[in-house]
Amino acid sequence: MWSFILRRLLYNIPVYLGIILLVMALLRVRNPVYAYLGKNADEKQVEQFEKSFGLQDPFIVQYGRFLWNGAQLDFGESWKYKGTTVREKLLASIPPSLSITVPALILTTMISITVGLLSAFYRGRWIDRLLVIAAVLGMSISFLVYIIFGQFVGAFLPKQAGWGLQPFEISGYKPWYTMASTDIFGVTVPYPSHISPTTWVAFCLLPVLISVIVSMGYDTRFYRAVMVEECNRDYIITAKAKGATKNKIMFVHMLKNAMIPIITRIMTTLPFLITGSILLEIFFGIPGMGRTLITAITDMDYPMIQGFTAVIALLYILSIILTDVLYALVDPRVRLS
Amino acid sequence: MIQDAEPQAEPILTVRNLTTRFRTDRGLVTAVDDVSFDIVAGETVGIVGESGCGKTVTSKSIMRLLPEHVTRIDPKSRIMFRGINLATASEKTMREVRGDQIAMIFQEPMTSLNPVFQIGWQIEEALKYHTNLNRAQRRQRAIEMLRLVEIPNPERRVREYPHQLSGGMRQRVMIAIALCCEPDILIADEPTTALDVTIQAQILNLMEGLKRKLNTAIVLITHNLGVVAQVCDRVLVMYAGRVIESGTVHDIFHRPQHPYTQALLESIPKRGRREHGKRLPTIPGIVPSLHELPPGCRFAERCRYKQDKCVNEEPELLESGDGRSYRCFFPLTQTPVAPTVEGR
Amino acid sequence: MGRFLKSRGARKFMRNRLAMASLGIIGIYFLTAMFVFMGGISMDATKQRVLPKHVPGFFESSSLDQRVEAATHYINDVDLACRLAERRDEDPYGIISEKHLAERVPAKLTTDEYNDLLDEAYAILEEELDGVDDLNHRPEFEPRVQRLEQIAETLYPVPAGWDGFKYKLRTFLGSDAAGQSISVRAIYSIKVAFQIGLVTSIISVLIGSLLGAAAAFFGGWIDHVITWIFSTLSSIPYLVLLSVLIVVFFGTIFDNPDRPFLSLVPVYVAFCSTFWIGPCRVIRGETMKIKELEYVQAATAIGFGRMYILIKHIIPNTAHLMFINFSLLFIGAIKSEVILSFLGLGVKGQPSWGIMIRDAKDEVASYFFWQIGAATFLMFVLVLAFNIFTDALQDAFDPKHVD
Repeated sequence: MWSFILRRLLYNIPVYLGIILLVMALLRVRNPVYAYLGKNADEKQVEQFEKSFGLQDPFIVQYGRFLWNGAQLDFGESWKYKGTTVREKLLASIPPSLSITVPALILTTMISITVGLLSAFYRGRWIDRLLVIAAVLGMSISFLVYIIFGQFVGAFLPKQAGWGLQPFEISGYKPWYTMASTDIFGVTVPYPSHISPTTWVAFCLLPVLISVIVSMGYDTRFYRAVMVEECNRDYIITAKAKGATKNKIMFVHMLKNAMIPIITRIMTTLPFLITGSILLEIFFGIPGMGRTLITAITDMDYPMIQGFTAVIALLYILSIILTDVLYALVDPRVRLS
Repeated sequence: MIQDAEPQAEPILTVRNLTTRFRTDRGLVTAVDDVSFDIVAGETVGIVGESGCGKTVTSKSIMRLLPEHVTRIDPKSRIMFRGINLATASEKTMREVRGDQIAMIFQEPMTSLNPVFQIGWQIEEALKYHTNLNRAQRRQRAIEMLRLVEIPNPERRVREYPHQLSGGMRQRVMIAIALCCEPDILIADEPTTALDVTIQAQILNLMEGLKRKLNTAIVLITHNLGVVAQVCDRVLVMYAGRVIESGTVHDIFHRPQHPYTQALLESIPKRGRREHGKRLPTIPGIVPSLHELPPGCRFAERCRYKQDKCVNEEPELLESGDGRSYRCFFPLTQTPVAPTVEGR
Repeated sequence: MGRFLKSRGARKFMRNRLAMASLGIIGIYFLTAMFVFMGGISMDATKQRVLPKHVPGFFESSSLDQRVEAATHYINDVDLACRLAERRDEDPYGIISEKHLAERVPAKLTTDEYNDLLDEAYAILEEELDGVDDLNHRPEFEPRVQRLEQIAETLYPVPAGWDGFKYKLRTFLGSDAAGQSISVRAIYSIKVAFQIGLVTSIISVLIGSLLGAAAAFFGGWIDHVITWIFSTLSSIPYLVLLSVLIVVFFGTIFDNPDRPFLSLVPVYVAFCSTFWIGPCRVIRGETMKIKELEYVQAATAIGFGRMYILIKHIIPNTAHLMFINFSLLFIGAIKSEVILSFLGLGVKGQPSWGIMIRDAKDEVASYFFWQIGAATFLMFVLVLAFNIFTDALQDAFDPKHVD
């Protein structure tokens, strides 16, 4: 298995190098300094800027330097936030993103697999039809509209109506934990302490709910299709002929077979949840990865864009490799050799 | 092979007026129409006919394995098994019957086993539902069953997955699953169709041997008359959803009453009797669509003895007294058509 | 084409009534888009002021507060013009007539008549209604407000006849923060949506299918390179890649709101360079499968050239997948446009559903739903029709698809 993982890693190295190359090249289509300082920057200023960030070197040198420093987790200093390194920004923005994406992913997957299973099992009956129609209708509305109305109903209306109950906040994000760190064998490991669930509910639950509702349409349809396919397999009849109950057929026979597409789906959504939450993070003022990155893009903060993309792409590739390993765990037909 | 075996004991399964309908895009379709038969303990009954004549639907109706929301077993139908009417029994009762008292094996051994579970687990699953054996005993029984179906190295094989076995081996596993609770009836739906000829014979011999050992009645569904001749005691010939003739293997093969049976028998290739260059007789035409059944005899369109009456009126199933019945206005005379019964 | 219409898939599709209905809806949208494209609604019309700001649409009755505000808007307009005329010592109508709201042209009156009406209006506003904070709960002021509206109507008469009908069309969904017609903007946006959807999905499907078929058919290094390109592109989060691609165009001639057609080019480029991956993957997989089929093998064995086999056997057998992908990408383009426009990276200088939703974001808090409602509804119906259409296509032509 380790040799398999190693081989997959080696196979993905050119892909990863390609990503970095592509992003860096795209960012250098226009002179990044002018892009950042504006068209009318004076020449001296530009020269100094270029020197301090090594932008006068040939592209290949810059590329090599980025890779070399990146391997040591050093992505340089942000242009916009002077004195702050990209790594600091990255580490600070990961926890807020995860506070939303992880619960959202877990909830969405659990609910939509169950709904998909039910829908497939009652295929063609009214409950299935209703769910299919609801999924198609839900898919046809823009993410933005969900967020705007989610905020309206979840935060604005309660405030206006003066119910005395204001469960959700839509601005002024505060972390629901304080970071502490501890030394384990000389390595400083940060961990969250002083967790405050009420703060989490106030700032994160509404975006999580919106995210779940938005993804439900797509996921339910996908899982239903997977389950319908499994429903038509011969082994279902064999299990029934053995005297298995409906629940045993659904949750033991079908679910284990359906694990393969389910795992693929979950693993490929992992990196997308980071980007999917860009909009949520912007609307709710959450300083997560997505919002930080989009702000960096519109600010032309090049070291930030490069550093963030490098890390996100790495996570994506790792998740794909992990998917392959998980396959082997659920499907005896797949061998990691 | 027992021939001319008259049913002496009480039947364990009595099917009367079984009618199964499907809801389709083009309206209701009667896939099985008024089928009746009995099964006695330890006998082998063959159901033969062309594809789409209702053989599989009949067997799945008995097990109630058809998709519920598109099929309907007519309330007149009676499937009496040990005093229970399976046609109307609750799902819970059916679960107790399935796998324990009536078991079934299917045509496609390649896909009928669950690919992600060990075969031992799949045998043990049935034992878990129907016996009080503990885990170790179930494993023991699974190994025993694999040995019984002549799978070499059963101790090792229980831990293997279906994709590691060949088609014939998988069908043996299916038989092991079906027989592990020693059912009274085993319904085998085209168990050998997907297999190589040599493997076919092995599987049939195995089933025959197990039947003797366990005294299980077998309902063998097939379109292969050679197989029927080899293992069955009695035969039901179906056509377009109806039973058109039934009787002992000997009677059916030597003195078919229905022209369809006769035509089917003629279309079996016979060793040594065939002249070179001569075409094998076939039955002209195709089975009528269940959506547009003719008003008269369903076989009339293709029948070489067709008369006006056949086209306009549908014949009743007639009992001819010697345990045989047929659905024809003009049954054939008693001349033997196929004097040799093929045994392979 | 005739053969296609007789195929089993096509017949199955045509039997699907819901699919045919959605096709009809897409057709209506397409015709509307063509109408706008041919100049049926000009860009100027989308920017023209037609009403005071945030006037609700046809069935929502305004509160007294809002009615006073709307009437005051017209009265102030005339008042300002009159004062300007006084200073310049001109005829006020010359100045007022420039302040027309689309078809709604100010009445031609004399200076005295204007002043009389204005005096009366300000008398009501400043003496009777001034200081009334809870106007909405004081129905006794209704007659005064009505009089105010009459004055506004006299100053700015609603036109009759054809012009009146046109004005009604412009105003029946109300107005946005700049007094622009919501209905005109929402309908104009259909054109923008089709423009982006058609251009990007046609180009993406063509590129994707070509590369996919080539990769699978020729194999070897071609396959490796193409697989590498799409693995690379799909490893970057989609929205990030789109944003970076668009930001590259910042500060160029394509970043100019005054030339809306050019400013769509970054959007086209960004969409096309990410959208082709989907069809490429699918067509590559399908071609791999077809390549192994007996009849293609037979054609190779007979000695037909590879190009011939590609054109004669592979492409016709993947056509349905191209069509399905086209439809899927069209939906993707419309939805992505909305998100990009919201982020300020999409459509510039002309209205689009994304821009309308962005503008409407803050109106929702003041219970004004007309703008977001109009954009959402039009987009919802189109995307829904495309979703149903795609499903039916897959149902009819893709044997692996489960409905």
